[in-house]
Amino acid sequence: MHSDAELRHVIVEWLDDQYHFGDASSLIKSDEQSFLDTGVLTSLGFVQLVLFLEGKLHIVIERGALTRENFDGMGKILAFVRACRLR
Amino acid sequence: MDSDVLWNPDPAVASTSQLGAFQRFCERETGEALTSWQDFHAFSVRRFEDFWNLFLRWSGVRTSGEPSPVCTSRDVESARFFPNVRLSFTESLLSGAGVADEAAAIVVCSEGRPPRTVTRGELRSRVRRLARALTALGVGPGSRVAGLTSHDDDTIAVALAAVGIGATWSACGPELAADAAVARFSVFAPTHLVLSVQTPRADAGDEPLARARHVAARLPSLVQTLLIGPDAAAEAIAEALSNWPQACAPLAPLEQAQSDGAFEWPLFAFDHPLYALFSSGTTGPPKAIVHGAGGTLLEHLKEHRLHGDLGSTDRLYFQTSCGWMMWHWTVSALATGASIVTYDGSIAADGPDTLWRLASDTRVTALGISPSFVQYQRSTAVHPRRHDLAALRLVLSTGSILFDRDFDWLHEQLGPLPIHSISGGTDIIGCFVLGNPTLPVYRGESQCISLAMDVQAVADTDGGPDELVCANPFPSRPVAFLNDSDGTLRHEAYFAQRPGLWTHGDFVALRPRGSARVLGRADGVMKVRGIRIGPAELVGIVEALPEIEAAMAVAQDAPDEPGGARIVLLVVLREGEVLDRALTYRIKRAVRDGASADHVPSRVVTVPALPVTLNGKRSERAARDIVNGRTPANLAALRDPDLAARISEALRRE
Repeated sequence: MHSDAELRHVIVEWLDDQYHFGDASSLIKSDEQSFLDTGVLTSLGFVQLVLFLEGKLHIVIERGALTRENFDGMGKILAFVRACRLR
Repeated sequence: MDSDVLWNPDPAVASTSQLGAFQRFCERETGEALTSWQDFHAFSVRRFEDFWNLFLRWSGVRTSGEPSPVCTSRDVESARFFPNVRLSFTESLLSGAGVADEAAAIVVCSEGRPPRTVTRGELRSRVRRLARALTALGVGPGSRVAGLTSHDDDTIAVALAAVGIGATWSACGPELAADAAVARFSVFAPTHLVLSVQTPRADAGDEPLARARHVAARLPSLVQTLLIGPDAAAEAIAEALSNWPQACAPLAPLEQAQSDGAFEWPLFAFDHPLYALFSSGTTGPPKAIVHGAGGTLLEHLKEHRLHGDLGSTDRLYFQTSCGWMMWHWTVSALATGASIVTYDGSIAADGPDTLWRLASDTRVTALGISPSFVQYQRSTAVHPRRHDLAALRLVLSTGSILFDRDFDWLHEQLGPLPIHSISGGTDIIGCFVLGNPTLPVYRGESQCISLAMDVQAVADTDGGPDELVCANPFPSRPVAFLNDSDGTLRHEAYFAQRPGLWTHGDFVALRPRGSARVLGRADGVMKVRGIRIGPAELVGIVEALPEIEAAMAVAQDAPDEPGGARIVLLVVLREGEVLDRALTYRIKRAVRDGASADHVPSRVVTVPALPVTLNGKRSERAARDIVNGRTPANLAALRDPDLAARISEALRRE
């Protein structure tokens, strides 16, 4: 079980490995920031992130639940994953 | 001044160069106003038949027969040049535009022996005697003479003698593995084998002879092996050859028994088969390409005299070996009256500055190198100017892409000299893009398109860089492929992809100012997420990083990823560097910022070296096979076949 801090680290590291190459932390200025609007992730990137999290955390994320309201930002992703684990 | 300009020509050159002289000759003969390079090149393409006819006249090559028609059609695949003209390739090279017997022809350098100068007179005399000796041995039109030879005067003399009496010549250098030589010569089916021999060193066994025996025993077409070289008659050699598969004899006694009196060189048809060359194996099984005497001679004269301004005061050295087309290109420089330098040995024999010392000692005026040599020099912190290079007026490079940083290094080290990045290949025994004494040199670019070649950059429907094509016939297209009686292989190699065009297989960007930047081989293209990416687009960026010695990008099959492929970047690090996460990020950021996010490699792997062919060309094909878990199809053509296993191990580790 990962804490929120550990999960945040995992996501930032993935963003660095895949897209931002060491710049992810500086790009994410708050938990409320939209990843889509600020270029942290593209829609294809979101799909790749979901696949990564499913494999890493052994959870299943329903594709119908992949909305901006649920997933577009660090705070939303952490809350969504937490909820998935509780189910 | 444009910051990309590294060199500007002296304005007087336009009037004093051979290019300027020929341009004015064409003006007089045609009545056309050909005042600028652009005018002249456009003329040479639009009226290419007139161009070649005028060039044949202007160059002074002795011919017989009517130079009409110049070309049988305008079809790039089937047209034939000068079907009624006959000439002697050998006579033209020996003549050297009539240079005196006392002039130097070849300065012979080799590891462990002092330089030696062969004059024009000595070369002419020797080739005449050798031609008589070979004739006495039954060599003539239809004969195929193969050389397992060193880059020296003996090889040049015997090759010129053989082709002078109508035989076809093909050679492999000493660096080629025995089985690779067998693969080439089996297709060539030689009647005679010429073998450069040296007395076996006590510490080296008789490996070169064992290699030659291995080759000779596998060529059923051979009737005789002829030995050349300073030790060819040595007792130790004779003993080693006592059980040779065919008749075997030193050539020197046969040569010395002949008269060196006047010799009437026979004239052969323009398309008479002169050389058989083999593609490097970079892109598949070597193609066995036959080039004609007239096409080779005219193309080389054009490149040397017009694009390189080579003449009797020049001395050319090109880093090459007998099996590479640049050997043939170098030897042809004799036809301009220039002398050439040969070197048989390691480019590091006397340390990393060996070639600069050679250029200094032999007063080279035109020095031909390769991008891999420049990279090697950069890594060793060599300073060429510590040697006296006052005679040097021109640097040429070919073999692969000369990147911006390579131009910069040469410019920094050598000062204001023209750098000719020339590109074409074995297929045309010449160049599509090259240098020009009347135009500026721009960083990373070839100065111009070759005269009389309608080179165009054609967009591919899949996107990605443009491909180099040629839309008109030119004399140095192959006259045939071996084992291709109906021309199918030749058609497939150049014309099947785009009917009516020669598709060369290089990516190129043509600049509005007339220069060109070659972007790599089209067959090394990667298709990742549906986007075509030329490896050179990202390799140039990665190699500019100070931690990186060399890099190569290839596609790896990845069925689970979008598009089914990902980019793997193989990097050779400079000494003391480590590929940690920070460096990996720096590499990826540089690629993203310098090219695009689509170019960013999925994997970056450190490897001990990059796979290169025996010609020194990087082999993306071999790397692609290795990263996809296959044995390289061109393993026998690789300089270090064991490297494949070491790269596979690195891929498994990381």
